[in-house]
Amino acid sequence: MSGMQIVFLVAAAITLVSAVLVVTLRRTMSSALLLVLTLLGVSVLFVLLQAQFFAVVQVLIYIGAVATLILFVVMLTRSVMDTSEPQVHKNWWLAALVSLVVFVALVVTLSSWQAFPQVQRAIPADSGENLAALGKALVDPNGFALPFEVASILLVATMIGAVYIASERKGEE
Amino acid sequence: MTINDLNTILPLVVLAGWSVVVLLADLWIPKDRKGWTAALSAVGLVVVLGLTLARGGTVQKAFFGTVLVDGFALYLDIIFLVGGLAGIALAYDYLKRMELERGEYYPLLLIAISGMMLMTYANDLIIVFLALELLSLPLYIMAGFARFNLQSEEAALKYFLLGSFASGLVLYGVALLFGASGHTDLPGLVNTMRAGTGNQALFLFGAALLLVGFSFKTGIVPFHMWMPDVYQGAPSPATAFMSVGAKAAGFAALMRVFVTVFPSLSDDLTPILWALAAITMVVGNVLAISQKNIKRLLAYSSIAQSGYLLMAFVPYANAEVSSDSIAAMLFYLLAYTLTTFGAWAVIIQMEQQERRGLEVADYAGLGKRHPWLGLAMTIFMLSFTGVPLTLGFWGKFYLFSTAVEGGFVGLALIGLLTSVVSAFYYLRVVVVMYMQPGDPPVKQNRWVNLTALLAAAVVVGLAFIPGSVLDLALQAVLQLQ
Repeated sequence: MSGMQIVFLVAAAITLVSAVLVVTLRRTMSSALLLVLTLLGVSVLFVLLQAQFFAVVQVLIYIGAVATLILFVVMLTRSVMDTSEPQVHKNWWLAALVSLVVFVALVVTLSSWQAFPQVQRAIPADSGENLAALGKALVDPNGFALPFEVASILLVATMIGAVYIASERKGEE
Repeated sequence: MTINDLNTILPLVVLAGWSVVVLLADLWIPKDRKGWTAALSAVGLVVVLGLTLARGGTVQKAFFGTVLVDGFALYLDIIFLVGGLAGIALAYDYLKRMELERGEYYPLLLIAISGMMLMTYANDLIIVFLALELLSLPLYIMAGFARFNLQSEEAALKYFLLGSFASGLVLYGVALLFGASGHTDLPGLVNTMRAGTGNQALFLFGAALLLVGFSFKTGIVPFHMWMPDVYQGAPSPATAFMSVGAKAAGFAALMRVFVTVFPSLSDDLTPILWALAAITMVVGNVLAISQKNIKRLLAYSSIAQSGYLLMAFVPYANAEVSSDSIAAMLFYLLAYTLTTFGAWAVIIQMEQQERRGLEVADYAGLGKRHPWLGLAMTIFMLSFTGVPLTLGFWGKFYLFSTAVEGGFVGLALIGLLTSVVSAFYYLRVVVVMYMQPGDPPVKQNRWVNLTALLAAAVVVGLAFIPGSVLDLALQAVLQLQ
């Protein structure tokens, strides 16, 4: 077992365990902090895939912005979010059983599939040039300018919705 | 960016820009005059409809082939834009009556339509995904537009959670297809499939995930669970618009992607599509029988209609039949759109404050007290059932006959039998309207009335010239690819 594989196993284990804890722990604050750990584990996986840029973006945006925002929301609304209701549905074991069966079936099917483990092509090494090309492609009409613009309209729609649903609650109730 | 690129997608650019203009203009429109916002949005839709028609159905590519405008896009865009106009006509009076009158409704509607139009142009899986999100997000908000009504909030939340789950599946499918071939553009995927160089296992998984994701959006059993609650909880005009728009756009995406890219996977996919179509028709129609609430009844009816539409996909890999069956599906989509908007126009006039007037029993006496509305509703119910002299009859006729042509006699038989079952609950509405005494309160509004009567007239009128409508649909399909 090479060093890379050990790092991968450790990072994957931390990611999975903390991800499970995020949804099972009762205190929202602990869940939010564990979410940070999960996202950090994912960024380690990106490094192992030689996608340094995505690793940095993962840390900067998901941990730096999204998770921080979630922490703020949890702290500001702690009294509202505390609930004593049961966390699991009464038939949870049935759902778990079905998921497990599907998972095992998928693993068995995939491992017996000849074509599956073939790697199509090697991952190109990440360098500064790739990054510049990515940036240019995002605003190039022959690249991703249209999807980029569509995404901005999408954000406008989301913003209208968020403001509409959240605003004026106090005044109208 | 060349001007040509923008010129090709000009209707879309104008529509998206106009939605922002309407949003800004709404700031200066006083609270009790939101009719102006509705009118402004309608004007924008008419202009875009004009631009779309003026451009015609010639095949044009833009943005390095990521978008493609052709007769197929033209046909569906007309459905979406006319549907948008009907959506505004239905919404204006209803929102005022239910004290929901807020200008944001109309820009959101315009953005949803731009998403649907983008879906018809999409020639790249990235665009397919973005268009899916662009049309879904405004619909989630419109479903929850009655903010202080718990049912509406529940509808929005359920729709949002399951919808984002479906989007996640679509995205996963796109990622697998990219992994299998190194392409996200449809021509690139087609070439890889033909050459057989891609990873076939990943292709199949990707295709299956896309199918599941779009089945969520179009309400195909067993991915239909959200539909009855969302249809019932959302404000009626939003339900009407989403039941046509989301479904047609979902099927548009399926048509583009499956017919062009995955014909060689048909050995694996055709039995799955067969089974999905069959159980959707059976489950939708059987569950509709016991519904007492008219909105829920139409929700299950809409699920059943998805089954009929999906039927056209089953022979999709058979080149001789597929263009006929897809044309039959486009034809059916037109009939479905007109009938649905008409039926909802009647429901909206019947709905009273606090969600009263929504039970089938409330329709007692409608046929005698308001003969025109009763007649219109009768026509829509007959068209949904597929009775001759309505557009719905020809829709089902073409669908079933192409299924038989493709060698799927069993499926056509299931379709025929479930149609007979559906007659029971559709005709029950007609029986209640004419045979039971009552004096239902009706909130007449000329725009809603106009939508209902116009839709009824067209449903009957076009039934006399089904051949020329089918020709239009066939032309649209021949340019697909």
